[in-house]
Amino acid sequence: MRSFLPAVAEQLFRDIQKAYQETSQIPDDLLIALKFVFGPCALQALDLVDQHSVTCLSSPSGRKAFQVIGGSGRLYTCFVSCHYCPCPAFAYTVLRRNEGPLCKHILAVYLCQAMAVTQQESVSDPQMSTLLSGTAPL
Amino acid sequence: MADILTSVFRTFMSQTDVNKDVTMDPHSACSALLPGDSSVSSSVLLLGDSSISRSLLLLSAVMAASELGVRVVFFTQTQIQSLPVSLQKCVPSPESLKKIKFSYPRTLGDLLQQVAGLHESQNTSPTPPSLIIVDRLEGFLGRETTQRSPSSAPCRLIASFRSDVDSEHAGGESSATDPILDVLDRYFQMRCTLDRDRSYEAAAAGLKELWNVYLSATGITEDACPKEREDRPAAAPKEWQLSISPDGSMEFKMA
Ligand SMILES: [Zn+2]
Repeated sequence: MRSFLPAVAEQLFRDIQKAYQETSQIPDDLLIALKFVFGPCALQALDLVDQHSVTCLSSPSGRKAFQVIGGSGRLYTCFVSCHYCPCPAFAYTVLRRNEGPLCKHILAVYLCQAMAVTQQESVSDPQMSTLLSGTAPL
Repeated sequence: MADILTSVFRTFMSQTDVNKDVTMDPHSACSALLPGDSSVSSSVLLLGDSSISRSLLLLSAVMAASELGVRVVFFTQTQIQSLPVSLQKCVPSPESLKKIKFSYPRTLGDLLQQVAGLHESQNTSPTPPSLIIVDRLEGFLGRETTQRSPSSAPCRLIASFRSDVDSEHAGGESSATDPILDVLDRYFQMRCTLDRDRSYEAAAAGLKELWNVYLSATGITEDACPKEREDRPAAAPKEWQLSISPDGSMEFKMA
């Protein structure tokens, strides 16, 4: 996922990746750092990771997109090449108020990628188009 | 960055400037378009007068198709009636024009569907498009509250946008207060602003219209992607002056 995050967040994901590879868990100091950088988003995103809520969809054309099941059971599509989530929190907190870099869904995608626990699924090219256009849930 | 627009400016430069400019070579921009080059994903938001933006977008499309030989998809809500007068100067071959695919989505939903479907096989033969142009983005966004940028790497994107907050008399800065523009800026790496020059010099130019053209990087990528910034040629001109003759032909000058 192309990143638009501050360097400190990038480094944090790299540290989590390394620690998780070695010990299959995130040590306390990194959890505290996560909460410090991302605020209340961090715990909610970790919940989503625990519930296996993040799926990476791929189509034969090579396109990829992430799908995150939100707390309410709604599906949110997050793009690979562009920092965007269609959830209300992203529209309000990030785009409108500019109060944070991301929502819990995008953070969950980053965490799943760092921990290599993203579910994988294949879809057809037309299904991918529908997904990317955001016109209908898959 | 913004190399297609820059080669348009260079191609339609006034003769006096052409002699001075040793770097004028549309093919130098071409090398950056080669597949596999990670620096290709560039996006420009073109701000200002709609009819001039549209001419610039058409010039860019023809330049990209004829000089760089890439496939271009041009999204617009209004049918293309005629090509800009300035194009008659360079007489592009009909073959190169075939590399431009004009698409006329009527609504934001149509646009999103068509952009989202660009990766499907019927749109990628013989090759996928390397430049996506969206004319008058504001016409698609309308009053809807959810916007999505149609950006898609690795491919260039140029979109024109006219802000509701009219910046014509106050200089480019007042447009920063447009909330839609604030959001769009997050998703474009470069901004190109067209600003009508109403100075004494402009008035003295007589029937010609003078416009100032500014190329600038938008906030997010500037801070977050230092690597891309290093790739940017340091000496690239960032300001141009555009003069439009009564017959509609366009000429650029380095400012
Ligand atoms: Zn979200």
